Amino acid sequence: MSMEWRLLDLMVADCYTQMAIDEAIAYARGRKEAPPTIRLYRWKPSAVSIGYFQSLEDEVDLEACKRLSVDVIRRISGGGAVFHDYNGEITYSLIAEEGNRLIPADISESYRVICGSIIEAMRLLGLESEFKPINDIISGGRKVSGNAQTRRYGSVLQHGTILVDFDARTMFTVLKVSKEKISDKAIKQAEDRVTTIRRELGRPVSFEEVRDALISGFEKTLGIRLVLGQLNKAEGDLVTKFRERYASQEWLRLR
Amino acid sequence: MSQMGKAELKVPGGKLLRALSTVKEGRIEEVRITGDFFMHPEEAINKLERRLKGVPSDEESIRRIVEVFFKSVAPTVLGAASNDFAEVILRSISEAASQ
Repeated sequence: MSMEWRLLDLMVADCYTQMAIDEAIAYARGRKEAPPTIRLYRWKPSAVSIGYFQSLEDEVDLEACKRLSVDVIRRISGGGAVFHDYNGEITYSLIAEEGNRLIPADISESYRVICGSIIEAMRLLGLESEFKPINDIISGGRKVSGNAQTRRYGSVLQHGTILVDFDARTMFTVLKVSKEKISDKAIKQAEDRVTTIRRELGRPVSFEEVRDALISGFEKTLGIRLVLGQLNKAEGDLVTKFRERYASQEWLRLR
Repeated sequence: MSQMGKAELKVPGGKLLRALSTVKEGRIEEVRITGDFFMHPEEAINKLERRLKGVPSDEESIRRIVEVFFKSVAPTVLGAASNDFAEVILRSISEAASQ
């Protein structure tokens, strides 16, 4: 019989809430106060997240974010800065206790295993993709998913993006990625390095379709059964507490 | 007067490391290491930065501190190696010296 995990289905919320939920589940799971969980979500308003170790001022054009009503948040996971476009991205997170037999103890190996679920979801949608170490998934040589993992509270938390559509112009405006950003040439180059599900499949693909594929991808690859659930009371209280930290200037400007 | 220097290092096949250092009278006042790498546990980076405080800003001293940190604290790092951290810190310090 396959193991049951909890599914927290496609949820729309702001960046502070989304990151607080991921951390709350990791905390609760480490104390066995929550089941292993797969979450799917979107960021509204669109937001920039930076990796734990990144310098805010090196990575983000705060003026541009303000002008475009894009939120900015620091993650507890390392990795790079990401523009989470409400209209172009689905994010997943996986939370399990450390030592779970489905998740390798070796971090690099666990990226490969967890990303295998995303690759399977892509395949179900009709898209060939592969894992590119350290933490990317590529299709036709172009990045379609970025992933980041942290281990704390006795849990493994991996979250990652799946690009459904790509707004290179806005991404270049809010991220300090290049000196001649928003030049047509820079946008063209970004579009050569990054791809999306809609572009690869050449047809409109709804978020619901991607969500269905992700659920099947996780179930099939990890050999689990996802059961629709919700946050429990303990997790809900933690979300309130963690959300406050994520929304604070002190946390945002940590590095 | 303290001098400030900034450097970055793109690890081939890995991640980007940046270091911002202030040096005063031949000693490190502060080093801040940033970038898109992964270090587990994440807070280990604070330990490295603390250990570098007050250290003579010569290559040998810095390499030793970094090496001992990676051996004793033994964080899991993805996208960069011990040497890369030493290298970017040293570059930021020579940048500070040239100010």
